[in-house]
Amino acid sequence: MPNPYIPYITKVKSIISENKVNDIKTIELEFKNEEDYKKFDYVPGQFAEISLIGKGECPIGIASSPTEEGTIKFTIKKMGTVTSGFHNCEEGDIVGVRGPYGNGWPVEEMKGKNIVVIGGGFAFSTLRSLVIYLLDEKNRKDYSNITVIYGNRDPGEVLYQEILEEWKKRDDIKVVLTIDREAEGWTEEVGFVAPIVKKVGPSSDNAVAVICGPPIMIKTTIAVMEELNWGPEAILNSLEARMKCGIGKCGRCNIGNKFICTDGPVFSLAELKELPDEY
Amino acid sequence: MDQKRLKKDQIGKLYNELVGEYDFYAPINKKGNIAFEKIENPEDIVLDYLNSKIPPKSVLFPQNEVLFEYTLDEKDVEITDRQDLEQKILIFGIRPCDAYSFELFANFFSFHGDWKDDIYLKKKENTTLIGIGCNTPKTTCFCTSVNGNPFKKDNMDVFLTDLGDTYLVEGISDKGKGMVQKLSWLSDASKDDLKKAEELAKIAEESITTKIDVDTVVKNLETCFEHPVWDEISESCIGCGSCAYLCPTCTCFDVIDETDHYNNRGRRIRIWDTCQSCLYTLETSGHNPRDTKIQRCRNRIMHKFSYYPTNYDLLGCVGCGRCVYVCPANNDLRVILDKINKIEEKEDEKVVA
Amino acid sequence: MGIETDNKEIISSIRENAKLLLSENQVDVIIGYSEGTVPLSSTPIIIRKEEDVDKLIWNNLCYINLARYLAPLMPQLCDSEGNSLKIGIVAKGCVGRAVNLLAVEKQIDLDNIKMIGFNCNGIVNRSKIDLEIGEKEILDVSISGDDIIVKGHNWEKKFPYDQYINELCKVCQIKSPSATDANCIGECQELESIHDEFSDIAEFESKSADEKWAYIKDALQVCTLCYSCRQACPMCYCNLCFVDQNMPTWFGKTTQFTDIFTFHLIRAQHLAGRCVACGACSSVCPVGIDLNIITRKLEKIAKERFDYTSGLNAETIPPMMDFKMEDEEEFMLEED
Repeated sequence: MPNPYIPYITKVKSIISENKVNDIKTIELEFKNEEDYKKFDYVPGQFAEISLIGKGECPIGIASSPTEEGTIKFTIKKMGTVTSGFHNCEEGDIVGVRGPYGNGWPVEEMKGKNIVVIGGGFAFSTLRSLVIYLLDEKNRKDYSNITVIYGNRDPGEVLYQEILEEWKKRDDIKVVLTIDREAEGWTEEVGFVAPIVKKVGPSSDNAVAVICGPPIMIKTTIAVMEELNWGPEAILNSLEARMKCGIGKCGRCNIGNKFICTDGPVFSLAELKELPDEY
Repeated sequence: MDQKRLKKDQIGKLYNELVGEYDFYAPINKKGNIAFEKIENPEDIVLDYLNSKIPPKSVLFPQNEVLFEYTLDEKDVEITDRQDLEQKILIFGIRPCDAYSFELFANFFSFHGDWKDDIYLKKKENTTLIGIGCNTPKTTCFCTSVNGNPFKKDNMDVFLTDLGDTYLVEGISDKGKGMVQKLSWLSDASKDDLKKAEELAKIAEESITTKIDVDTVVKNLETCFEHPVWDEISESCIGCGSCAYLCPTCTCFDVIDETDHYNNRGRRIRIWDTCQSCLYTLETSGHNPRDTKIQRCRNRIMHKFSYYPTNYDLLGCVGCGRCVYVCPANNDLRVILDKINKIEEKEDEKVVA
Repeated sequence: MGIETDNKEIISSIRENAKLLLSENQVDVIIGYSEGTVPLSSTPIIIRKEEDVDKLIWNNLCYINLARYLAPLMPQLCDSEGNSLKIGIVAKGCVGRAVNLLAVEKQIDLDNIKMIGFNCNGIVNRSKIDLEIGEKEILDVSISGDDIIVKGHNWEKKFPYDQYINELCKVCQIKSPSATDANCIGECQELESIHDEFSDIAEFESKSADEKWAYIKDALQVCTLCYSCRQACPMCYCNLCFVDQNMPTWFGKTTQFTDIFTFHLIRAQHLAGRCVACGACSSVCPVGIDLNIITRKLEKIAKERFDYTSGLNAETIPPMMDFKMEDEEEFMLEED
């Protein structure tokens, strides 16, 4: 069995800035060996340990969808040594990738259902992956109505603007964008995610909600969903934690007896209610 | 016959015979601290120790361990995997509790199906344990409460009993039996030797007076996550890592890259880490799921006595007592477990968040 | 009068004062020492009720500097809103120094602190005794007359008390908190006239530079970087220690000698002129490293260069945190 800590070697194919303050970039990676890419078989919602060899490694959700063939993408916020290193990457630089890790969004179980996607801020990356996957022509027929509610602090922080424009043009997906406070030129919703969800009022009937965002957004949104009569099995959350290994060995990402890396990162609200409030 | 005797002055001979084939590790005295090190001179070996300060987990899971090495080029990286995992390892003079801890390690590192820690598991596979029974367990030992015994032989390949001027040598596993047979110069043990060994084992087991009702601990932990007892339990903790570093079952690690920028090469290594450090769970956003020592102390106890039993149907403690006597603040695990045992369930107490 | 008798008197005065503070509601909690569960140890304890004051003890094994629990203030010493309770603290001289210095460094509010002072009669050198006993289990440690009596299975050994206490305790001049501290009840002393003595490091100082290097290298080889020394230190209260910073990463975290040495060197420098000479770092070290040698040498330099002794009062700023235009800084060009 191979050493699980050795990454696949990839090269940076492109790197683009995602927001006005320029602290979030999406990096597109191409596998050096085609064989490795085949082994990197992922579903939306999974993550990978990506590294600048010599600087360090960090866990990042996969922003691309498996339907976008040929490359994989990660959206990275500049936070520490490693993420700053990624921001300084140029085309052709080497990036190590281990994964895919975690359970991901349960796209098989979600088939036949109405899907409500709720995201806040920078955490939208694995939701981007999910929505692109759902909208793919091979998959779209398997899912009913798709609603996306995506909130940000201000217009300059909205990620994936081109893709959002494309989605808005389609008639098989409803896209609601919101920002925390009024801003010049902004014509869409204004307000925190939770009250906007309440306003949109998605029906819980034959539906699954996937939520990804900062802890406070998750907690307030869950409260609204419960008011809207959503059951705990139908609310799925993707959690974050400090991680080192990604494979249930380094220890730090446990919530109770579960590891976010191997048992998660996606947990239903029903599962979370069984776990201590340590996330 | 699988039972032999080894004279105490024959340890050098044993070492010389095995050191060609194995990396030979044994306890030595390092400035007053017993630790398992690779032996260069068999006279350094100390077998009449109580329990090693540094657990022998350091042999198979060293404090700093290379995961792989790399060389950096202008636009390329070359990765070199560990080449030394096939090397045979012999750990001589290991105590039963520590030998059992290797089983817990192997169990944990091979859990999560697809993602086995092959570095540890390969080394474990290539390791032979020549253990020794504890004639005089410490008063801090409580192995008999956690599925152990001062003469537990199950996890050993070869088992030694200190009979005074000789050791009784018993092959336990097939690997161990084979090894004992190969050591053809060992004389056969007598019936008296075996009888004496049995008596020593009995005396040792009876001498362990610390009894912990672990079943109640495990049961109470299911419902006491929010109990105020944790405030009290964590009161004296100073938040250092001695309990975890010196615990034979603690597996947590950090991963860093160490790069020699002058020579464009380096190594990705793992380093022991501890859930008692406030940085252990600190996320880059600043959010910290366990930012008080109350939560951190609770995590350590829950991990060993609740999460471990739930996930693996095993206890995460071997009763070696190291954390009891190394804790700078004397936050005694036996006292902690006793406090948990005395919790009486009240109707109004919240179970879990 | 033997140590044993001293201790009995200290215990009864601590309990009496603790009772007084609690009964008059001058404090909400008292932090002190309780009997250890293993020989050569003691356990810090928080007392909340008058009837529990008899759990408080003093026995020359109370090596933890209790000021360590004040900064950062542990949650057990806060009310439900996170504000500090009124805290009584059992204070030997070095705890008093730490409390003062923490106040100078604006880490604590003295209004919330009451010290229960007493005349400390020294801390037993645990690692020295451990080392001499070797691989035999110690079952009991007690003080009788002027001896430390160590007992095991069928054996007993006596150690003269005055030789087997920490080296820095042997020369300690500040055995109780400062008399100028309005917040101290119990024993206290005039500290303005103390003369510091550093004969405990005389032997180390007499070594050549090479010998010192060899000594430190040898001493630190067993360090496991468990950070007990830092965690036990009342003056190591940083939220994020330099060791743990990663923007930038200042040094490696491995147990290679360079990393171990860098940690101890930089920690010592951060304590230059701030160490309160409690010896807790050495007492708590699970592998018995004597770190006092280094911190005491720095304390001596602070005394010689700046005539400064840390923690004598709650006003004087430590030299390394202060700045004077007229400072000659002549030492910067010295070679030794």
